[in-house]
Amino acid sequence: MVKQAITLGLWLLAAGAVPAIAQPETNAAATSPPAQQQAGPNSATGATANFAPNDPPGEWHRQARDYANTRYSSLDKINTGNVAQLRMAWSFSDGINAGHEGAPLVIGDTMYIVTPFPNNAYALDLSKPGAPIKWTYTPDPTPMAIGKACCDTVNRGAAYANGKLIYNLLDNHTVAVDAKTGKEVWRIKMGNVEDGQTMTMAPFVVGNKVLVGNSGGEMGKIGWIAALDVDSGKELWRAYSTGPDSIVKIGADFKPFYDWMKGKDLGVSTWPPNMWKHGAGAVWAWISYDPDLNLIYYGTSNPGPRVPAQRPGDNLWTSAVFARDLDTGTAKWAYQFTPHDQWDYDGVNENVLIDLPINGQARKVLVHFDRNAYAYTIDRTNGEVLVAAPFAYQNWSKGIDMKTGRPIVDPAMEPKPDVKLAHVCPPDIGGKDWQPSAFSPRTGLIYAGIFNICMDVTDHPVAFIPGTPYDGMEMTREPAPGGHWGEFMAWNPATGKKAWSINEQFMTMSGAIATAGDLVFYGTADGWFRAVDARTGKVLWSQKLSSGVISQPMTFLGPDGRQYVAAYTGVGGAAMVSASMAGFPARGSTLYVFSINGESPSSGPGMIATAGAAEPAAIPPEATSRRR
Amino acid sequence: MKPQHRMLRILPAVAVAAILAGSGPATAANDSNAQPAPGLAPPSGDVGRVPLGELVEAPETNIGAEITNPVAGQPQAVAEGQQLFMQMNCASCHGYDAKGGMGPDLTGKYWRYGGTPAAIYNSIYEGRPQGMPAWGKALPPQAIWLVVAYIQSLGGAFPAEAYQASLQGDRPGEQVAPELSFEAGLSGLAPSTPQGQGSPNANPQPPSGSGQR
Repeated sequence: MVKQAITLGLWLLAAGAVPAIAQPETNAAATSPPAQQQAGPNSATGATANFAPNDPPGEWHRQARDYANTRYSSLDKINTGNVAQLRMAWSFSDGINAGHEGAPLVIGDTMYIVTPFPNNAYALDLSKPGAPIKWTYTPDPTPMAIGKACCDTVNRGAAYANGKLIYNLLDNHTVAVDAKTGKEVWRIKMGNVEDGQTMTMAPFVVGNKVLVGNSGGEMGKIGWIAALDVDSGKELWRAYSTGPDSIVKIGADFKPFYDWMKGKDLGVSTWPPNMWKHGAGAVWAWISYDPDLNLIYYGTSNPGPRVPAQRPGDNLWTSAVFARDLDTGTAKWAYQFTPHDQWDYDGVNENVLIDLPINGQARKVLVHFDRNAYAYTIDRTNGEVLVAAPFAYQNWSKGIDMKTGRPIVDPAMEPKPDVKLAHVCPPDIGGKDWQPSAFSPRTGLIYAGIFNICMDVTDHPVAFIPGTPYDGMEMTREPAPGGHWGEFMAWNPATGKKAWSINEQFMTMSGAIATAGDLVFYGTADGWFRAVDARTGKVLWSQKLSSGVISQPMTFLGPDGRQYVAAYTGVGGAAMVSASMAGFPARGSTLYVFSINGESPSSGPGMIATAGAAEPAAIPPEATSRRR
Repeated sequence: MKPQHRMLRILPAVAVAAILAGSGPATAANDSNAQPAPGLAPPSGDVGRVPLGELVEAPETNIGAEITNPVAGQPQAVAEGQQLFMQMNCASCHGYDAKGGMGPDLTGKYWRYGGTPAAIYNSIYEGRPQGMPAWGKALPPQAIWLVVAYIQSLGGAFPAEAYQASLQGDRPGEQVAPELSFEAGLSGLAPSTPQGQGSPNANPQPPSGSGQR
């Protein structure tokens, strides 16, 4: 079901243009793209991005692929012309039947995988048939973390830096593992799990700093982001999401664009007395970085408790985005998407950093699809909202006041204690959740899996009891008008309109990637993995997999020179709100790797020496040394 | 919005904590009838049956395991138990319908730590390794029994007298296939079943449990 829309001229032009042809074997892999790519000739917006740190095109070193969080790969051996021949090359099960929300990494000839709790790590040798396990690392986090994690025992993946695989354990430890040997290099405790704090986000590495943050916005834990030293794990700075300016790291050079966010200690005064201490603002998703401005960008979670009647005020700095200096952690500006959030609209979703002309003026922006169903194009130098438009069905607001940057809340959609409020849209998990979008400089569009869901909600006032949810929202979810739960869309960040979209019966809670083959990949909660024409939204290839796809796809070049696309199955996380749907799949644990015609050293005849075979086509993998 | 007024209704955790339970739960008599521990040398002969570990279920020799809930089935107790279930944030973890969320479903037949009243009491009192807090210091025994009464009212729990059945996965009214019992000698076999021909069709029923985790 492809809904065509918008900008006819450009699309006709694009459709008539010669489709991208596979590059000669030696091309795309060998050369790095320039730091600042030019916009594609058929770009809808003229948007560009800085692809720093310009990791090798065939590799994948960090979840978002680059600092700007584009999730754009310059590989094009798989493209609109041949993607219909995509077939499974090999697969790998990690045996953990929980929500798989991460992407594997590929560095050199090795693929690295981190599982949901118990957060085991695997290194797979891509240079050998079958991609055998090189090493396994089992950190043994405490099982207590299972019951303190709000939304399944997920992990959103690792980052690679300085020869180390760095990731977070559900029990609030950050670990660095030697990528060659699988031996632990350092392990640092970042928080107390008994209090209801967990860690699920993927660390973000810039230079010698690892940035990590906590989960636990439903448990009354104050949110924070911290910078650690890559080589030692030593904490360099930490900034909290609520409280006095001293701990939020707000100083003299903090300049929010809008007046209502200016003033002293607003992280205290926008709360009833002392409630900021349990006010959440967890930092559980994505971080971006602009090397020119030396600023990091990230969002904060919903306020605690989730019952708004207990916390009158704007509840700063929850459901907000911060721009901070990478080196010191001090805040440069902030913008609160949802003041006094009443619906669990976390502000943690990714911020994609692109540069594009808006009303004829070149702007450095971040693009953010908030849980509150608005897509924001914000000047990332100063926090000014340039475009704010709904991308999913919503009825909680009447729009955004562009003078103040504040949403205009519909009073009828404000929950009251112990009163059931029907059909509030979007629901707690938003018009889009954490699942990250992708940007293509060839089309100038951003691609995202989004939701079409509403909720019935009853608030129950709650007491703060450490280690238990500080929550109080009783909810049931149902589809918004249209009846479908999911949608995958191409978004124009200059106009605030969809270029095209695809309705999905089940939730679309997978990340997206875009490639130079003019393809976009995403998956669905019922287990379809799809490749779509980035310009037209036409589905060019689909494959049903063993469980739902809520992970992040990625693509890489194997040592054999082939381009592969990989994605984990393993439904879970917030997608379980739709688990009662007929046809909803069982849990899973399997990584699938695809290539054109399924060709790879891991399948085909002659994979093992047999009697009568003079020369085996491939040598069985050597015995590998396993740590455990 | 008058949140302060609303919050007065909430039972503060501190106040609850002040009501100390005093002694342990009446059911925690785990020290009686200790089984002979196997020595370092290989045992000779029959060392007797080893009880299951406590985390799976209280030892089957534990007389307290079959204790009944003094307030089970009393509507007032069930209502108060539900109140506590809400006020102590149990609902936020196990679901407002108790069908599971962060914590397990409490309405089905799958009980990782036992589904009899005593076992449920112990899980609440002691806490459990996967994140369940220990409420023994915050709630007096009578309050815990109220919560147990509410959970029993949801229909998934096993009656105290069905303790053995709950360990075995048995359900009321199910068929039982004849099985060789050494205690009973070979006469324990059904006469129509020749030895070595396999056991008769037990006609197993599909599992009725749901939401296994």
